[in-house]
Amino acid sequence: MSDDNGAWLLALGPAGAAALYWAIYRYYRNTDKSHAFERETAVDAKPVTGSDRQTGDVKGVRNSRISGDNVKAYRQRVKRVS
Amino acid sequence: MSNKTGSTPPPLPFGGTGGTPPPLPPGIGPGSPQDVPPEPGTFPVDPATLPKAIRDEVLAPDPVAIDTASEELKDGQNHCPKCGATDIRQRPGTDLLICLYCRNEWHGEGVEEAFGLGEGLDTLSGTIVASGAQAIAADASHLMSFKCTGCGAEVTVNTESNMTARCHWCRHVFGVNEQVANGAVPDAVLPFRIKKDDAVARIRQFVGKRRMFALKEFKEQFTPENVVGVYMPYMIVDGRASAEVSGHGEIKTREYTRGTGNNKKTYYDADVYAVRRAVDFTVDDLPLESSRERSKLDTKVNTNNIINTILPFDTKNAVKWNASYLSGFSSEKRDTDVEALRPRLEDQLLSIARHQVEPSVSRYDRGVRWEEESLDVHGTRWVAMYLPVWLYSYQQPGSGMLHYIAVNGRTGETMGSVPVQHWKLLLAALTTGTFIEAIVIALLLGSN
Repeated sequence: MSDDNGAWLLALGPAGAAALYWAIYRYYRNTDKSHAFERETAVDAKPVTGSDRQTGDVKGVRNSRISGDNVKAYRQRVKRVS
Repeated sequence: MSNKTGSTPPPLPFGGTGGTPPPLPPGIGPGSPQDVPPEPGTFPVDPATLPKAIRDEVLAPDPVAIDTASEELKDGQNHCPKCGATDIRQRPGTDLLICLYCRNEWHGEGVEEAFGLGEGLDTLSGTIVASGAQAIAADASHLMSFKCTGCGAEVTVNTESNMTARCHWCRHVFGVNEQVANGAVPDAVLPFRIKKDDAVARIRQFVGKRRMFALKEFKEQFTPENVVGVYMPYMIVDGRASAEVSGHGEIKTREYTRGTGNNKKTYYDADVYAVRRAVDFTVDDLPLESSRERSKLDTKVNTNNIINTILPFDTKNAVKWNASYLSGFSSEKRDTDVEALRPRLEDQLLSIARHQVEPSVSRYDRGVRWEEESLDVHGTRWVAMYLPVWLYSYQQPGSGMLHYIAVNGRTGETMGSVPVQHWKLLLAALTTGTFIEAIVIALLLGSN
């Protein structure tokens, strides 16, 4: 194992402590909970329509997801056009 | 509108809209809270990796939420239909009203059937506001006085917290049934089904799972028997809308690494697409808090998100307003109008639309960045309803934060906020961190 990798591993201790603190705090205080109306409301939707058009490509990027990926952040509002 | 008579209910009046909605107080409307809640029963860290004592707490069973089936609902009046007495209460654990004088029992009228609320979602247009959900007059008093028909005495009901009162002279019971313009009388009420004992047991079980790091004072003063049954004001909204979202999605075409040893880095190639999605949908019975205080969901200063979490209720089983259901319970008053709640409704409709289109973009394995969204609300229908909540509260010394533990009065869904003993939690976290660090150092020394 190289020195570089070793230094990185040393961060595991503080990271583990922080993760445990955060997880238990949320488990007691439930600050992340709210009504999951997206899942729990009776929604009757017609089939989704739409279009997909290739506009280009990217090569040699480092991030594994598109930047600003918000496909799961349903409650994060984006520009409202009407 | 009065429902004292048992005759055919009047149709829903159509309320007009127009003008700009008044500004919202902080915490209401778009953006509160922003995070999609995690699936129930999930824990951010794999419990198997935790020390046994903590793991046992986390994995202990949660209070079970029951499923309430719809029942056939019949006619209801404020006088006992059999003997005419007014001493009427809800029979605990049921949707029945019981006359305390002759023990006669009967059902309130189902609001879904009475107003046809479950129907016509596909053709909903305009804004339909039920009479109990109409705008609150600024000068309406929350104190209402009645002249007792039994003895002529004046009886006052404070609608901020109560909807029934007893004449202290002749013991006649009054209920506020006339829909006055102070927002206190809703269209419908969903009676408590979970009894107090049951609620106490659920709160005990919930807190039992969260004792190790709980604040010492909280544990010492924990008396779940002090739980209070409260009818909370909500707007139950049906809606029909169309939404459109557009943005960019990426599909990975190649993944490769360059460099060697420590400089090894992963790179990706991807095709970029312009993505557009549209969906037409209807929502049935979306509940929105119609109390200004309760709709401020800011976990930094309050724990109203706890009461928000125990939504939804089986609002299909709600009965037409009858103050007798509230006898023995306290209530909070609605103080928000339809127009003030519209931004929040639109925000939730957009979130629902984004949730609906998600499966259709699963081929974009590098994700989608939505950039623009639009919403066209074709029609909404608003009904004011009182929903039953068992509420246990604890005020934390020092910070003054009010911690709630709430039990859904119908399904028994339980959620709460238990104050944390910070030094204890910090100590546990540091101990765990030190332990991990020791293993890492041992490994590093071993490999060198």
